[in-house]
Amino acid sequence: MSPTAIGIIGILIMIIIFLSRMPVAYVMAMVGYLGFTVMVSGKGGLALLSRNIYDVFSSYGLTTIPLFVLMGQFAFNSGINRRLYDTGYKFLGSTRGGLAMATVSACTAFGAVCGSSPATAATMATVGLPEMKRYNYADELATGAVASGGGLGMIMPPSIVLIVYGVLTEQSIGALFVAGVFPSILVTILFIISIYIRCTLAPEQGPPGQRFTLKEKIASLLGLGETLAVFIIVMGGLFVGLFTPTEAAAIGSMGVLVVSLIRRQLTWRGFVNSLYETLSTACMVMMLIAGAVIFGKFLAVTRIPFELASYVGGFDLPRSVVMGMVIFIYFLGGCFMDALAFVTLTVPVFYPLVVTSLGYDPIWFGIIIVMVTEMGVITPPVGINVYVVFGVARRIIGEVPLESIFKGIFPFLIAVVAGIIILMIFPHIILFLPRLMY
Amino acid sequence: MSLTCADVFARYFHHPIFGSVELVSIMATLAVPMALPHTHKIGGHVGVEIVVRLLSEKTQTIIKTCTDILSLGLFALVTWRMMAYARDLQLTGEVSMNLEIPFYYVIYTTGFCLLVFTLVIFYDLVDDIRKLKGK
Repeated sequence: MSPTAIGIIGILIMIIIFLSRMPVAYVMAMVGYLGFTVMVSGKGGLALLSRNIYDVFSSYGLTTIPLFVLMGQFAFNSGINRRLYDTGYKFLGSTRGGLAMATVSACTAFGAVCGSSPATAATMATVGLPEMKRYNYADELATGAVASGGGLGMIMPPSIVLIVYGVLTEQSIGALFVAGVFPSILVTILFIISIYIRCTLAPEQGPPGQRFTLKEKIASLLGLGETLAVFIIVMGGLFVGLFTPTEAAAIGSMGVLVVSLIRRQLTWRGFVNSLYETLSTACMVMMLIAGAVIFGKFLAVTRIPFELASYVGGFDLPRSVVMGMVIFIYFLGGCFMDALAFVTLTVPVFYPLVVTSLGYDPIWFGIIIVMVTEMGVITPPVGINVYVVFGVARRIIGEVPLESIFKGIFPFLIAVVAGIIILMIFPHIILFLPRLMY
Repeated sequence: MSLTCADVFARYFHHPIFGSVELVSIMATLAVPMALPHTHKIGGHVGVEIVVRLLSEKTQTIIKTCTDILSLGLFALVTWRMMAYARDLQLTGEVSMNLEIPFYYVIYTTGFCLLVFTLVIFYDLVDDIRKLKGK
C-alpha cells in the first residue's frame, strides 16, 4: 500500500473516531502515533509520544498561551466590558441601531485584551443585551450583534488561534498579531454598516437610544483608558521588538491585574476563577497542539500535503479559485468543529499547498483562515457563540429562540464574507503593518 | 507572569534575572500536565458532539466506554514512554543551560501527572461499565 493510501485511511479513521465525541487532541495523537508506527517503526512511534508531547509542554514560545488566556480571564472577571460598552453607548447609542453598533465596537475593544471568542460574546452579552432590550431592540438584532461581535475577539490580537497558527507554521506571532489589527477594524466597520442598512430598511429593529452631551461623551473615553494602554504596551512592544510575545503576554496580564485591583473590581473569587479557567483552557490548547504535532509527523511521512499540492497544481486552475476552494473547506469545517481544533488539524495539510505551491503570504493566510473559522463560531450546527449568547440571554432577558439568533446572524455573516473578499483583493490591508515591523 | 515582568524591567536596567526563561519554561511545563486530570474531568477538551448527542443515553454510554478504553490505552503508553524518557535523560545527565537544573526531575513529574491522568480515565471507564451494568 502506498504511503498516501495509508494516510487517507488514517484520516478517514480519524474522522470516524471524531464523531464519537472523543477529544480531538487525543484522536489526533492516537491516529498520528499508530500511523507513524505503521509507516516508520514501532520504536519511532513510541519516541513520538514522549518527546513530542514533552517538547510541546516545555516550549518557552508556547508559554504565551497561558499568559494571554490569563490576561483575557482577568479582563473577563474585572468589569472592563462595562466601561467599554459605556463608551460605545454614549457615542453611538442615539443613532438608529446604535446600541448594536456600540456592542460590536465594544466587542472589538474587548478582543484587544481577550483572545477568546466565546468569552468575548459572553462578556458583552451580559452588558449589551439588557440595554438593547430596554430600548426595544429586536431580539434577532440584539443577539446576532453580540454573537457575531464575539467572533471579533478571535481576529483582534491577542488571538489564541493566531498563536497556535504561528507555532505550527513557525511564523512570527508578533507579526501575526500586528497583521490582525486592520482586518478586525475592517470587519467592525462592515458590521456597523450592516447594522445601519438593516435598521434603515426596518427601523423597528433598532430604535434610537438616549442622546448624550459632548461633555459626557468625552468623559466616557476614560473607560477606554486601561484597555487602550494595555493594548498599546503589548502591541507596541511587539511591534518595535521591545519584548517577545511571552513577555508581552506577561506584561499585559500584569497590567490588567493591576488596573483591576486598583479599581477594586477583581474579587478574590474572580481571581481564583481566572486561574482555574486559564489552566484548563491552556491545557486544552496545549493538548491540541501536541496532538496536531504528532498527527503532523504522520502526515509528513505519508506525503499527503505535498501530493495534494501537486494534485491541485495539475488542474492548472487560477490560484484565486484554489484559494476559494480552501476557504470553502475551512468554512464547512468551521461549521462542524471548534475553530481551534480545525485549524490545528488542517494547517499541516493546507499550509504547503497555499504557501509553497500557490505562493500566498503565510501571514496573510493565517489571518484569512482565522476570519473564515470565525464564521464557524456563529453558523449552525456548532456555532458556539450562538449557544453562549442563548444561555446568557435566557438568564438575563428571557428565552430567545435559537432560530432567531441564527437568523440575526445572517447579515453579519455577509459582512464577514465581504471582509474576506476585500482582504483577498487588497492583501496589503493585512500585510502593511507586519512589513513595517522591526 | 511576575517573574517574566520582573525580568523585563530588570533587563531595562541592564540586570536581567539569570535563568528566568528556564524557570518560566519549567513552571509552564509542569502547569499543563498538572491541569490534565482536572481539564479531562470537567470535559474541557474539545470534541465533536454533533452526532453523539442525537443518540440514546445508553448508546452514548457505550460509545464513551469505547473512547475511554482508547484514551486509557493511549495515555498508559504516553506515561510509560515519558518515564522511560526521564530515565534516559537521568542516565545521560542532561541539565538546563543556565541554571543546570536536571531535566529528568521535570520529566518524571510530568510522567507522574500523566499517571494520575491515566488513573482518572480508568476511574471514568469503571464508572461507565457500572452505569452500563445498572441499566
